[in-house]
Amino acid sequence: MSIRNLTLALALALSAPLATAPLAAAQEELSEAQLTPAMQTALDEGGSLVVVDVLGAVCDFCALAMTRTFERRAEVAAATVDLDAKTLTFVVHEGADMDDATIADLIRRAGYQANGITRPEAL
Amino acid sequence: MKHLLYAAAALALAAALASPEAQARPVSYEGGRTFIAEHDRAMSSVWAHYTPHHRYSVGYRGEWHREDDHVFHGAQLTWLAKRWFGADHQANLYLWGAAGLAYGVDDSPAGTGPAGSLGLMADWETRRWFVSYMARGFAGDTTGASAMQAARVGVAPYVANYGALHTWLMVQVEHNPEAENPIGVTPLVRFFQGPVMAEAGWSVTDDKPFFQLQYRF
Repeated sequence: MSIRNLTLALALALSAPLATAPLAAAQEELSEAQLTPAMQTALDEGGSLVVVDVLGAVCDFCALAMTRTFERRAEVAAATVDLDAKTLTFVVHEGADMDDATIADLIRRAGYQANGITRPEAL
Repeated sequence: MKHLLYAAAALALAAALASPEAQARPVSYEGGRTFIAEHDRAMSSVWAHYTPHHRYSVGYRGEWHREDDHVFHGAQLTWLAKRWFGADHQANLYLWGAAGLAYGVDDSPAGTGPAGSLGLMADWETRRWFVSYMARGFAGDTTGASAMQAARVGVAPYVANYGALHTWLMVQVEHNPEAENPIGVTPLVRFFQGPVMAEAGWSVTDDKPFFQLQYRF
């Protein structure tokens, strides 16, 4: 497990008042709805987190389309959509990678549009 | 065919779920499959569609036009002509066409002949509000022609996140010039969770039930 992911796990486990500045930032950035147990497990196993801001995601069919599109990719361990945050978050297996162009194309193939891609390296 | 459509409509009813054709959107994510069963005041139908590209779907469509006493079996292509994206909204324009065979049932002496339909649907939705409009024309060599249009408005009494149960309260107004009641009004409730969308309502103008069940595979 990388230091980055150890830090992420700590950030999600601690409450905000006890968190250090980076951990507080992590909690602010990721809600519970953005990190499922399967994604947490994948992070514990060394995966990397990707957060995508998405346009047009207003219903469960939208969320379902994106999670299924990403979860059928071999390099993706788990994915979920937070309709409140308007984000798709997913974890890439340790050693795997997915570039921004591929992510944007997969969002398009799911029927939606990416509006920004971040990899919370600070976590 | 009639029994199959009855069974599909009954399945939707038994599941306590249901929506009129005005809201059926078979275009899904690439590789996705959609099953739809509908039962409204004039027609029962089943669709089984596959989405090879995010802009269109292809599949089977079967209809039992109960008021006109004929059934239709055919292939349908649905094209997502345009989707507008926003941070808090989505709007779509769909066009579709179906071609196949139709024949009379019950009291209709109509023989089997080629038939088809064309339609369009436009919608705009947020997580709180929903508005849509659709228009459709059907023509059969032996079964005649018909047309209808419908509009719908809906509101979600609460906003839920992915995976939770979503509930919508909606009203659909239909105009079908050949129907016994040309104007139909159907209040309905929509339940939406994960791969299942279901609607149940009651036509207050025709005193008939309305159901729809959609499942995304």
